[in-house]
Amino acid sequence: MMLSLLHDNLDYLLWGNLTRGQPGGLLLTLGISLAAGVLATLGGLVGGIALCMGGPRLCRVLNTLVQILRAIPVLMLIFWCYFLLPILFGIDIPGVLTVIAALAVINAAYLSQSVKAGIDAIGDGQWRAAQALGMTRWQALRYIILPPALRAMLPSFVNQWITLLKDSSLAYVVGVAEFTFVATQINNREQVYPLQIFGLLAIGYLLLCSTLEWLGRRAGRMPA
Amino acid sequence: MTPPSWLGQGWLAPHYLGWLLQGAAMTAALALCVCLSATVLGVLLTAAQDSKQRWLQWPARLFCSLHRNTPLLVQVLLWYFGVGGLLPDQAMQWLNSPHQLPLPLGLNLSWPSFEWLAAWIALSWYSACFISGELAAGLRTVGSGQRLAGRALGMSEWQIFRFIVLPQALRHIRQPLLGQYTAIIKNTSLTMAIGVAELSYTSRQVESETLLAFQAFAVATLLYLLLVIATQLAGSRRSAEEPGR
Repeated sequence: MMLSLLHDNLDYLLWGNLTRGQPGGLLLTLGISLAAGVLATLGGLVGGIALCMGGPRLCRVLNTLVQILRAIPVLMLIFWCYFLLPILFGIDIPGVLTVIAALAVINAAYLSQSVKAGIDAIGDGQWRAAQALGMTRWQALRYIILPPALRAMLPSFVNQWITLLKDSSLAYVVGVAEFTFVATQINNREQVYPLQIFGLLAIGYLLLCSTLEWLGRRAGRMPA
Repeated sequence: MTPPSWLGQGWLAPHYLGWLLQGAAMTAALALCVCLSATVLGVLLTAAQDSKQRWLQWPARLFCSLHRNTPLLVQVLLWYFGVGGLLPDQAMQWLNSPHQLPLPLGLNLSWPSFEWLAAWIALSWYSACFISGELAAGLRTVGSGQRLAGRALGMSEWQIFRFIVLPQALRHIRQPLLGQYTAIIKNTSLTMAIGVAELSYTSRQVESETLLAFQAFAVATLLYLLLVIATQLAGSRRSAEEPGR
């Protein structure tokens, strides 16, 4: 029974209606996570560097923004993007894109704080040494500060990517056909094996997250 | 004052605000219950991971990594549909029908719905794993030299823990723990997926009934901000009162 359940639904669970041009399931989860992850990482780097290099006014604005984003649930931000981005731009935006936008923004906010902390952790002496060598502030950041700081930040980046991967399941709430949504669809259709279906879903995410964690730990151990 | 046209027609009627406030109350109640149970469970998990017995250590570690590496939403669904499906029909019938526990002073405590119970258990287990991570990190900040010194003074293991390790660890744990409590408040929003009538659920309800998306989500977002800020203020006030800081 479990085998026939798997046999009937595995394709749908893994890539949705890919043959009809509608990727879904695990594939869509990976796509959402990858797109949002890249955007969030870039946003976090830019935000964190701005927090370190920007003037007091820019910092105040950014800090307030980050604090607000950190205080509201991801789900709320997904609602905001899903219902209001189309109104704001006056065009129809696919649900997937609004979810990617929400996940990118909130994770960029978290990452910008890690980036700031990572840069702050590099001692003042390094900045001054670079200045003594005649480097500008930006040159010092680029050649002296960032290389070790980024290495030190890697664990918190990996943690944030794992959080992002897990949070991509929230796309379920606005009806995007990713892994969790597809699993609940199958559950509604079959009605008999909820424990097996959601157990399988959990194992799928577990494998993804553990792999990411393991890769992160390996990268952290690599020599410079 | 009429709102600009892209906001839709008019502001929220007062009774919709009432719905949202009720949702916020539900969010606060659920979060409070989860904070309490997850802290207790988190302490137990930390103790198990810290113990010298292997049969305690490994299950606790496995429990934590299983819960930390799967989405909370999936755990909520697993408890609601999966475990709910395992229970015998009679138990489900009992859980789904209203029950009241009479309290003194004429108050009645009604038995929570099955959705609420599933949400509470799922959130507690999930949050406990993160809390135990913070607790363990706090304990590690106290150097082993201090434990040895305590032993040299003839203190028992319990005395060392109570008078040397715990006071110092608590000071390091306070901020991260506060972060976990605000995370719990935010995470209660996921329980809307199984129909717990908390703030996100009611904001969605108000949105679909009035079609005023902006107004509904703005009020809900403000209420979340208030809850989180109140938690943080309460926490930092406490730590300011702490003597010897």
